[in-house]
Amino acid sequence: MNMPTFKRLIPVLLVGLAMGSCTEEKYTYGVNDVIVQPTDLSGKKSKTPEQYLNILYANLYQRAMSANQLVKATDVITSIGDKQVAYETVISKFMNDPDIILPSEESMRNDPESFVKETYQRFFVRVPTEAEKTWMINFINSNPDVTPEHVYYAFAIANEYYFY
Amino acid sequence: MKRRDFIKKTALATGAITVPYILPTGRLFAQTGSQKAEHVVFVLFAGGVRHQESILQRYLAESQDLDIEGNIMYNMLTGDAPELKVVYGTTPAGQQPGIQPISRILQTPLDQQGTLFPEVRFSKAGTGHFVGLSTGVSGHYGVTQGLRQRPINPTIFEYLRRFGGAKATDVWFVGNGIGNSTPLLNHSEHPDFGYKYAANFFAPNITFGSKGVEFLKGFKVYHPDEELVPIREMQAFLNNSFNLAGKEIPHLYNTDEEKADIKDFIRATFERLENNQVSFPPVTDNGDLSTIGYTTEILRWFKPKLTVVNMSSVDSCHGSYTSYLKSLHRGDHAVGHLWNFIQTQVPEMKDNTIMIIMPEHGRNYEPNPITDENDWFAFDHDSDPNSRRIFTQMVGPNVPANLRVGSEANPVGDAADTVLTIADILGIKQDVLATGLVDFNAMSLFDRI
Repeated sequence: MNMPTFKRLIPVLLVGLAMGSCTEEKYTYGVNDVIVQPTDLSGKKSKTPEQYLNILYANLYQRAMSANQLVKATDVITSIGDKQVAYETVISKFMNDPDIILPSEESMRNDPESFVKETYQRFFVRVPTEAEKTWMINFINSNPDVTPEHVYYAFAIANEYYFY
Repeated sequence: MKRRDFIKKTALATGAITVPYILPTGRLFAQTGSQKAEHVVFVLFAGGVRHQESILQRYLAESQDLDIEGNIMYNMLTGDAPELKVVYGTTPAGQQPGIQPISRILQTPLDQQGTLFPEVRFSKAGTGHFVGLSTGVSGHYGVTQGLRQRPINPTIFEYLRRFGGAKATDVWFVGNGIGNSTPLLNHSEHPDFGYKYAANFFAPNITFGSKGVEFLKGFKVYHPDEELVPIREMQAFLNNSFNLAGKEIPHLYNTDEEKADIKDFIRATFERLENNQVSFPPVTDNGDLSTIGYTTEILRWFKPKLTVVNMSSVDSCHGSYTSYLKSLHRGDHAVGHLWNFIQTQVPEMKDNTIMIIMPEHGRNYEPNPITDENDWFAFDHDSDPNSRRIFTQMVGPNVPANLRVGSEANPVGDAADTVLTIADILGIKQDVLATGLVDFNAMSLFDRI
């Protein structure tokens, strides 16, 4: 085919392509709402005492710690060599405060699955794996004396809570 | 039965049927054959002490150009107190500030009870507090040691836990505060030692001060069986799920029983404070004295093998010579109280404890331009020869009494000696020497006598 013949065929080809595309069926794609957050456990950085205390306070009191309180509490943590002892003691002091906000035992017992999910979300900022969820629910159900406070305390002193 | 009693009795019962225990070094049992005493208390005294006002007892004569001499450390040193220009004591109502010297506690000064090395040298590195303290606890001059950095070489705490089989609660570092990186001195960053062998630490003026009252006092005590068991089970599950090597809340390898014991101590100390039962020195009007008071509570409760306590108030000499004299006098009062407490209030440590006292460094010979309320000049410490001039004092079993070793013309002893001296007392000197990590000139002071 020589070049002049090819040029004469170009309009025909374009019209054909345009007509063909007009007949193509259109699709519309969408996405379902999904909570995007990590389920892996590979925390990389440890929290500073200030970060730990700030987040802990917010988790337990559902309000921010004042700057003055934060400085004082950080000093107290620094004044004790074994940080596990220091944090556990400060947390148990918080647990003795009537102002902390804990879920009721009734809500935990009535819907342990929601309680476990919310607790993981609150402390570890992630959803539990199926295995974690199952274990925690079973544990709560098989230990009638366990309270939400005990669960919160266990999460607050867990290693994962110390990392982000 | 109280839980503490239960733990004690359980430990006794366990001890009766104990099995050979392999230390981290691979050796069976701790070395005990050559111990000179079972307990050591090391006082880091007390923020940079000038030789002229301590060992030489020159008072105002070699600092303010006033011909008044005398000894303001009469619990530690033999010598008469100054008779003129007395400003270092307490202030009775309506009288001149500092006019009333604090009464002596020890009838026999420590230099007569033990051995004094009056001319010890801080031979290397700059005469800064943290380097001085780090040298004192590691036996190594951290020439490149920075603030906010743990000691580069292992501390005596780590040596004792690793080679002597000491528990975490057998070794304590008591800080005068949390400034100047003091809390970093309870273990080194050395890869073969580190936090696994660290000392427990308190900065008790904070732990038990107003901040501790707000955030610790009255903490909830969970029932050990009904509450703590399920809590620990959940914690173990959560930690097992996390299970990343090295990713854990920093701790010092206290056992669960030791952690519970420390918490019991914290609670009991708040109670004793409330009931005015803490054994503070008769005069307690500065931070060093209250630190010593809390230290006695640690001795009473834990009976540690090694306690290192840091005092620092003397460092007010940067800006006030009068305050310096007061703090030096109170440092002596604190040491007298500490030794008296050990001998009278802790039967397990009486006659079985060697106390060592050493300034972390000295102070300059020439003053800075700052004058205080008495128009007296202040003194810094910036590595002049006088700031390298310190002393070391030892007292206790197997320490020769009434002995002075060395003189200005013949200095004996080095700031790095203390670690090997403590190791010698507690029977691990050869292990420490074998690491090759202490200063190559360091020796046990017992070997220098």
